[in-house]
Parts: sequence; C-alpha cells; structure tokens
Amino acid sequence: MLDMLTLAETPDSMAAPIDRFDALFAHCYAELYGLIYRVLGERMATEDILQDAFLKLSADQLIQQRPDPEVGAWLRRVGLNLAFNRIRGERRARARLERVGRLELRDTDQPTDSPASLLVRLEDQAEVRRALAEVPERQRECLLLRHSGYSYAEIAATLGVAVGSVGVLLARAEQAFRATYRRQIQP
Amino acid sequence: MTILSTTCPDRGAWRAWLDREEHAPDLALHLDACAACQRLVDDLRQNAAFANEALHTVSASRPPSAPEIALARERLARRERQPVAAQPVPSSQETTPVFLSRISTPWRVAASGIAAALLVSLAVAFTPEGRTAAAAFLAQFRSQQVAAVEVTPQSQAEIMRTLNTLGNLGTIKSGSTSTTGARPGLLRADTPKQVTLAEAAQQVGFQIQTPDPATLPTGMDRTPRVEVMPAQQFSFTFDKAKAAEYFRSTGRVDVAVPDKFDGATLVVSMPAAVLLQYGGQGNRDALMIGEAGELVVDVQGKVTLDEMRDFLLSLPGLPKDTADQLRLIRNWNQTLPVPIPTDKVNWKAETFKGAQGLLLNDNSGVGSAAIFQSGGHLYGLAGSMKASDLKRVADSLR
Repeated sequence: MLDMLTLAETPDSMAAPIDRFDALFAHCYAELYGLIYRVLGERMATEDILQDAFLKLSADQLIQQRPDPEVGAWLRRVGLNLAFNRIRGERRARARLERVGRLELRDTDQPTDSPASLLVRLEDQAEVRRALAEVPERQRECLLLRHSGYSYAEIAATLGVAVGSVGVLLARAEQAFRATYRRQIQP
Repeated sequence: MTILSTTCPDRGAWRAWLDREEHAPDLALHLDACAACQRLVDDLRQNAAFANEALHTVSASRPPSAPEIALARERLARRERQPVAAQPVPSSQETTPVFLSRISTPWRVAASGIAAALLVSLAVAFTPEGRTAAAAFLAQFRSQQVAAVEVTPQSQAEIMRTLNTLGNLGTIKSGSTSTTGARPGLLRADTPKQVTLAEAAQQVGFQIQTPDPATLPTGMDRTPRVEVMPAQQFSFTFDKAKAAEYFRSTGRVDVAVPDKFDGATLVVSMPAAVLLQYGGQGNRDALMIGEAGELVVDVQGKVTLDEMRDFLLSLPGLPKDTADQLRLIRNWNQTLPVPIPTDKVNWKAETFKGAQGLLLNDNSGVGSAAIFQSGGHLYGLAGSMKASDLKRVADSLR
C-alpha cells in the first residue's frame, strides 16, 4: 500500500497508467468495434457500447496492468455483455435484431446501394441476426468471435473456457445457426 | 492432443483441425481411412463456410478511421472528467478553439440543416401529392413533422448552386426589403438578442419548454442563456423573361418556362424562434435547444402545384438523388425535409415526446443533435453528449 501511494504521488508515474490506457484504447478500439457492430448493426449503438466498455476499463487500474491478451479478452467479454444486455434490455431481442437490419438502415455504415440491392442486403442482415438470436448465448458469442477472426486461445480467454472446448462449442454453434437460418427462410 | 487413428475424434477436434488449431498428425491419416469422419468433416466444413458467409453480411463495411478513433478517445476523456465537472476549471483549459470547433459541429450541422431545409422546402412544396389539392391558386405547406434527406458534399454544393440561381429566375424578397437577384442566404435571421425566458415567451407568443434539470450533464449550469430570433419572411416571384434570358445565357435553351409561371410567387414564413443555451462558456459541455412555431409556405399564382413541382425539381443542376428523395416524401405538405450531410453525421428515426423525429450524431461521437416537431412546434437540440443522453433531454422538455 505504501509503495502504491508513493508511486501515485510521483508525477512521472502518474503518466504511466494514462499512457497504458491510451495504448490499449488505440490497440483495441477498432477490433472491438468490428465485433460489437456484428451484434448490434448500428454505428451509434456500437460507439456507445465501446464508450461504456472503455470507461469501465479506465476505472479499473488492475485490469489495465494485466498483459495485453488478458485485457483484450476482458474488453471483449465486457463489450459482448453490454451489447447483449442492450438488446435484452429492450425485452424484444428478436424484434430488435430484425429492426436493426430493416428499419434503422440509415444508421449502418454500409455503402450506398440501389434501392433494390439495399433491400436485399438488409433482408439478408435481418435473417442473419434473427438466426443468431436463436443460437444459445455461449455458442453465439463463440460464433461471433471466431468469424470476427479471433483465435481459439482468444475465444477461450474471452469466454472463460478451456481452449480444447472451443472447437466443439463452435461446431455446435455453426450447426445451430445454419439449421435456424434454413428453418427461417424455408418455413 | 494425441489421438489414435483407430478412435474417431470428436467433432470439436475436427472443427479445430479445420481451423488449423488442432495439429495432431494422426487426424489426417484417420480421415483418409474413416468414411464416417469424412462425412462429419464435410458437414462441419459446410456449416463453417455458411456461417462465415452469413456473418460477413453483418460486418461493418470498414473499420473506424484513425481520426474517428482519436475523437472517440476524446469523447471518453470527457466522460471520465464528468464527475468533477462541477468543480471550477482553470481558465487555461476552458473551451479551447479545437474543442469549440468539435462540440459546435453537431449544432452547426443541425442549424445549417434546418436553414437548408427551409430552402429545400421550396422544392418540396411542389411534390406530386399536391396534384389533388383543391388550391390551384393558393397552396400551403405547413410543417408538422420532419424527414431526412441524405445529401453528400457534392450534392450539397449542387443544391446550393441551384438555389443560388433562383435570383436569376425572378425576384427574391426577404422581410420588407426587396433584394432582386439576391441569394437565398438572405434567409438568415437577424442577430438575436439575449432576454429572459419570460421576455422570450412574450415575444414569440408561446410558452417556452425547458428540459428537466436532472437530465442535464453533471456540472452544467441549469440556467440557460435565452435568445430570440425574429420571424422572417421570404418570397420569390418568377419572372419569365428574366428566367428565359438566364437559361439562354447559360446555354440551357432546352429549359422552357411556361407563360403562366410569370408572376407566380412562393412565400416562406419562418416563425420566430427561441434558443436556450446551456454551458459552453466556462464549462466544457454545451447544450442548445431551439424551439419555433410552424414553417409555412404559400404558393400564389396561376400555376398548379404539380407544374411548379415539375419545374423546380427539374431545375438544371439539382441532384437527381435529392430530387428523388424529395418526391418520395409522403404527406409532403406537412413534412419538413432536413438535409443530412452523410459524410458528417449518422442519423436514425427516433420518437421524441411521442412524435417522430431525427436523432443525429456526428461521426466522431463527440456530439449529437435531434430535430422533431411536436404540438405545433419545431424543436432542435444539439449538444456535446451521447445521442441517448440528448434524447432524454428532449423527452423531458415541458
């Protein structure tokens, strides 16, 4: 405790956590954006979630001092929780997932299309998010993480499972997702 | 992991093997010899490919740029400072020019959007639905709601260029002053004066709504600075001879102005507006709330609405995409189109106080804005805060 107080009162050392946080922000923001955008499909909502996640990180000096991979996993876990809580919070997760694909198209960052192709793309996105909503939560997170490019080790660290469990979790997730998607489009 | 080739690996192992995350050498050998595992792996591969393709459709089209990340960091820094915002801030840190330029962006966008909306309304007043209006000689647009019209930097410039040519097609009057040939920029209101809320209410003739103080950012002064912008009137009267000469001089001999357009007049009545400003001087947070009555557009003359619409929307230089968006607005005679510069702001439809409106945030996430019409009044809010927080402020207006 004495050491911590001494360090905290030293101007030079005061800068260290700030630099550390800035570095983490610069390093993790873009990849976390990509992951959370897949969940929410809205630029504004994604930015809000990232703000909240990094705000939590900035308030937690202990987490910040962990190795980069652990901080990254922590941010992904917090970000996913916040994103899914946001959806659940509206008590209409399924309707919400449809809506982000259909009605709030102007908030997406997708390039401009012709009306016809835009409609088709938005329908596709709505179908994908509807199917995602049906996949069990842990599998869904695994699916999103893997197809956002994270390694099995990173997925395991994020979900708090053994690396050896990721394969089976992912296999189940992909099977459930495909089956749900097919059921939706061919009722 | 060691796996005997005589024992079939589980699906997890095969899925990891497909991703090159499982490196046991026996797996490949086992697969060559095991038909059941071949079917399983084929199934897993198809499921993975399907999921990959599907999830690609919901991915962001591009990662945030370095400036966007830097501004997101700045926004976060501001939120981190919020709990101590009530404490005096050293003068050297007060409202730097850079900060001002950033926080004022959404407001400038909102303000310029509203101003531009008034101009674009000239064109909207002549959309197809007007065909059925009984008023062949007098038509009226009355703003009751807002709708977004997306504009790119290029189309913005084209719209302004096109509107600026109006002075070449007739006579523009702003207020009581004749400004023949003047540019539409004269729509800008006079310099507002600072008054009390009671004085403002007396001047504009309605009770001014204020936000619930609890919704304002921590540390922000609850007492606003109040300004009144006086009502303005703008009219444009077609002059057939002048318009014909202008089109001839610009080589557009294909543009013909029918005789009955001669003398037809548009009258845009901009209501008086009240602007409440919170923070922004000694405080890093800034919030502005504007309230005005309805915008009214009258059309007088011998032309039908349809003819006027066709003519204005076919003015040389008006971007086709903008004209198409204007044509698609339903309830055109009650809808104020708000141009949204998509290179600067994101937007979505949102409900405020039970009325449909637009919620905008600039691409940096530093500021947000809202525009909606409720109870016969047009409201515009902009502030250096999250869009969700700004919505709470808007919903609390009483």
